Amino acid sequence: MEIEIITFGKIAEFLANQRMDVGEIRDTDRLKSYLENSFPKLAGMKYKLAVNKNIIQYNEPLSEQDSVAIMPPFSGG
Amino acid sequence: MDSERYNRQLILQGFGEQAQKKLATAKVLVVGAGGLGCPALQYLAAAGVGRLGIVDDDIISLSNLHRQILYTTGDLGKLKVTVVKARLTEMNAEVHIVSYPKRLVRDNIVELLGEYDVVFDGTDNFKTRYLINDVCAVLKRPLIFAAVSGYEGQLAVFNVPDENGLATNYRDLFPVEPAVGEIPNCAENGVLGVLPGIIGMMAAGEIIKLITGIGKPLINRLLHYNLLNNEQYELKITKGEDYQLPNSVDALLSADIGHRGYIEIDGEQLDSIRKEKSSLCIDVREEHEFPRLDKNIYQQFPMSNFNALLEEEINEKNIVLICQHGIRSVAAAEAMHEKYGNTKNIYSLKGGIAKWHNYLI
Repeated sequence: MEIEIITFGKIAEFLANQRMDVGEIRDTDRLKSYLENSFPKLAGMKYKLAVNKNIIQYNEPLSEQDSVAIMPPFSGG
Repeated sequence: MDSERYNRQLILQGFGEQAQKKLATAKVLVVGAGGLGCPALQYLAAAGVGRLGIVDDDIISLSNLHRQILYTTGDLGKLKVTVVKARLTEMNAEVHIVSYPKRLVRDNIVELLGEYDVVFDGTDNFKTRYLINDVCAVLKRPLIFAAVSGYEGQLAVFNVPDENGLATNYRDLFPVEPAVGEIPNCAENGVLGVLPGIIGMMAAGEIIKLITGIGKPLINRLLHYNLLNNEQYELKITKGEDYQLPNSVDALLSADIGHRGYIEIDGEQLDSIRKEKSSLCIDVREEHEFPRLDKNIYQQFPMSNFNALLEEEINEKNIVLICQHGIRSVAAAEAMHEKYGNTKNIYSLKGGIAKWHNYLI
């Protein structure tokens, strides 16, 4: 299955926006583990996932061509 | 009110005298007179906001001037709030400017927020941001959040209910405060001057919309702006359940969140945290102690053998430690915090099972 990954802030420095083949992954919990394994820097960071521009609070199913945004917190002022 | 001064906004469709009166009676507190605070303050004062409070304990330094364009080279070394007050009064003497040359901290936040209707967070560190967020969330005080990083900015309006009555706050986005150094700030990461200018002005726009009731403020929406490609990306925020704020500010400020690295909770909070998906409750009493608790809910890891637990990896996000009187559980919470830092929410039941047995058995 192919999804779109959109990243922001420091996360974009090691994980660029891209279309990603995530194989058999069908939910956000599994996607998180997959991404954190593939991009170990992500595992040490705080971030929030949004699926099709909706922030997710629980494990959510993923469908073909979903766009998944990975947003870190910013503190600068 | 000088109507000629505000003529160009008074004649706007949907604005008019009513909106201007709302601005004239509004009280806005701006926390941080830096890259975000300066542009917001300038436009809020120009637009005729009745009372503007400014909190900042910093003095103006040379590296501020590329983005904090309210200040001049001649202001170096002066207190920011003093210069802001002088400059904004010069610009619009109808606005009552109140300067607070202090750092916003736990001990003064309630007093500072006092009578202000709207709070703008233009600070530069997570510690203050989480403090402002938590207090505003408990007080249900509208909070405009703005932050920048590199070439990117974030903006949102918190604690204002949408048409369904749902109000969200920063912890619905990021429930746990990042550790110091985890996310770089402007001093470490750099920032192009216009970026906080743009985001600060957008924030002023949101504040004016909120006060006057025009348009559609960013309620329950996080706006991300990227200066490099001039793209905006908007995320809809829903309510998260992986954090817990007390019902009163007193309880919040005495909970000492972030300071000691763990939060002391009461029986009621325990009850709701326990029911969350990613919670682990640990009874640190010895095997022989009474009353016995349901081991399926409260896993037993006696203090005498607590190191064995510290060697294991806990997957749950919330760890609740309990004991008979809430003293050993504090030691356990400290040990947990030492191991996991701010990556988990660590709680200790204050007063222990002796005090809250009705919630436990």
